[in-house]
Amino acid sequence: MRRTLDTGNAAITEGAIIAGCRLFAGYPITPATEIAENMSRRLPQVGGYYVQAEDEMTALHICIGGSLGGLKTMTATSGPGFILYADPMGWALGSEIPLVVVNAQRVGPVSGITGAPGQGEFYMSRYPTQGGNYETIVLAPNSVQEAFSITVEAFYLAERFRMPVIILADQLVTDGWESLSIPETPEEVEAMGLKVIPRRINEGPEFYPATDEIDIPPVVLGHNTDAACSDWTPTPEGYDTEEVDFQHKHAYRLIYKVRNHKDLITRYESYFVDDNPDLILVAYGSPSRVVISAVKQAREKGLKVGALRLISLWPFPDEIFKVPAKYLSVELNYDGQLVREVQRAMPKGSEVHFFGKCGELPTVAELEEMMQALLAGKEIKARNWEWEAW
Amino acid sequence: MDYLATKYLRPRKIPSTACSGCGLGQAHKKVVKAIDELGLGIGDVIWGTGIGCAGRQTFNTWKGDNFAGTHGRAYAIATGLRMALAPDKKIIMTVGDGDAFGIGFLHLLNCARRNVGMTVIVLDNLGYQSTGGQYGWTTPRGYRTDSSPYGMREPNWTQEGRDVLNILREAGATFLARYTSLQGQEAVEAIKKAIMNNGFSLVHMPYPCVTNFAERALGTRKPVEIYKWFGEHTCSMHEKGPDDFAFRTGIYHDASNSRPEFSEYMKTWVAEIQRRYS
Repeated sequence: MRRTLDTGNAAITEGAIIAGCRLFAGYPITPATEIAENMSRRLPQVGGYYVQAEDEMTALHICIGGSLGGLKTMTATSGPGFILYADPMGWALGSEIPLVVVNAQRVGPVSGITGAPGQGEFYMSRYPTQGGNYETIVLAPNSVQEAFSITVEAFYLAERFRMPVIILADQLVTDGWESLSIPETPEEVEAMGLKVIPRRINEGPEFYPATDEIDIPPVVLGHNTDAACSDWTPTPEGYDTEEVDFQHKHAYRLIYKVRNHKDLITRYESYFVDDNPDLILVAYGSPSRVVISAVKQAREKGLKVGALRLISLWPFPDEIFKVPAKYLSVELNYDGQLVREVQRAMPKGSEVHFFGKCGELPTVAELEEMMQALLAGKEIKARNWEWEAW
Repeated sequence: MDYLATKYLRPRKIPSTACSGCGLGQAHKKVVKAIDELGLGIGDVIWGTGIGCAGRQTFNTWKGDNFAGTHGRAYAIATGLRMALAPDKKIIMTVGDGDAFGIGFLHLLNCARRNVGMTVIVLDNLGYQSTGGQYGWTTPRGYRTDSSPYGMREPNWTQEGRDVLNILREAGATFLARYTSLQGQEAVEAIKKAIMNNGFSLVHMPYPCVTNFAERALGTRKPVEIYKWFGEHTCSMHEKGPDDFAFRTGIYHDASNSRPEFSEYMKTWVAEIQRRYS
């Protein structure tokens, strides 16, 4: 085990290499540039390729091509690049291409502030392309060490579900420096609870079976399997078709291979939720670090509060919202994104509130003030755009 | 069925659903003939396509491996694929003029710059015909289409001193040629040279669209009229040709195997880095 002090960007790089990534195509963008830089240094050392693409759309297409040829591939960006993935993301989801996409979220919209964290692509990671009829898998680390392990896991899930897996990080996780342990042997990887599976090759002739099963090898070209894959609705053999019956089967597979194996994806942490707390804070990514601190401190002061920290975001873990309580979604945006899912998933008898910050983390003191007010049943006045009762 | 089709193409897709009189089949056959004359087998070629008439009619016609990219993106996909494929596998792509010279032109230019090993055959029906016949980047100036009812007024990539093949040559392409689908063995020979170039090759192959282009531009769907019009407007690249518009044909640039192919160069370089740091 190698112990070091490094950034989330470095952790993602090392996780990808351990997971077997051998092609990275990317385009420089703060705060994900160091992933590209680290990859350009590390990949050749292990026999892999770094390609700097002419834009993010090209980057993801190159990753698709590499994966179609049998390599494990990854790209990384921030919000302004993530929108350019919309075109290839549809191709990768529809043709079931395993690969990993990292989004180090920064505050927006548009270019926003390059060096400030945001959580504006929560829904965009669920709907990253047009057309519908698919589910996505989205994972959200809140530390440098977890950025490492989630990257290894993202590759694992990408191979099993044969689809792109999105890592929705944020600027504080990717740019932040923390201690990082990197396993150096397969035994150490396993001891960390991580799994790596090699790329398998679909031998055909059914490349796109109408089933919700996972662990079906993906299409790999160049191995004399007479494979076909395209952007059109496929028959099981990969022929393009305009018969709606095949569309039904294709959509069923893309949606239900994920929904029916959600237990393999869903991950979260809960704090103080077993004694029916009056108030449960919900967060993911870097704000969850503040939320956990604030809830621990509040408990010491006798406040009956708890926290849910989401690690997998999509498919949304509705089933973990078991306790009727007041819920407070803490996010790095003012428009409220996660809160909408909390509102949908909350059990009967709950109420949902929102606290958003824009480009900076909340403080423990701010959260405590919010918790005190909510527990006292005080009506939360909208303070300009900062707080809002939902 | 044609012996080439029986040998190389999938019976489920041939004959294609192209309109009666369409020139696409002529062009498609030339590509398959070139492959056959080079002695390549089904497993030697990965066939890529884009969107539109050229993409839809040729996708998954090849008995071996096939892929179709979203509109204009097949070149970017092929770049990644090239990195992963064994060097002896050929990537051959049949794409449309809108795909290559419009929406995908940025990717095409960068493939030429990198000299990525692929052969791109641009099957050019002079505009967007599968959507009903709108003008494109090779539609001759002045000709009527559904989106240029008063005649095409935009500067295109093929007239007034501009030639898309010159741009691609400057970008670094190592083999460039133009022949129409009406031309014979000389076009097949050019495609063979394109395939044998270990680098980025492009053959621009205009072909007649009877249903949409001819109907708007020439006022008739009689195949003989558009075929005649093609013949009248075809000349050698060394000739000036007709005043209004010409398909100037020939091998524009043959720098075959003069530059390192991108994926092979990268593989050699990576091996060198590994040797240095092992």
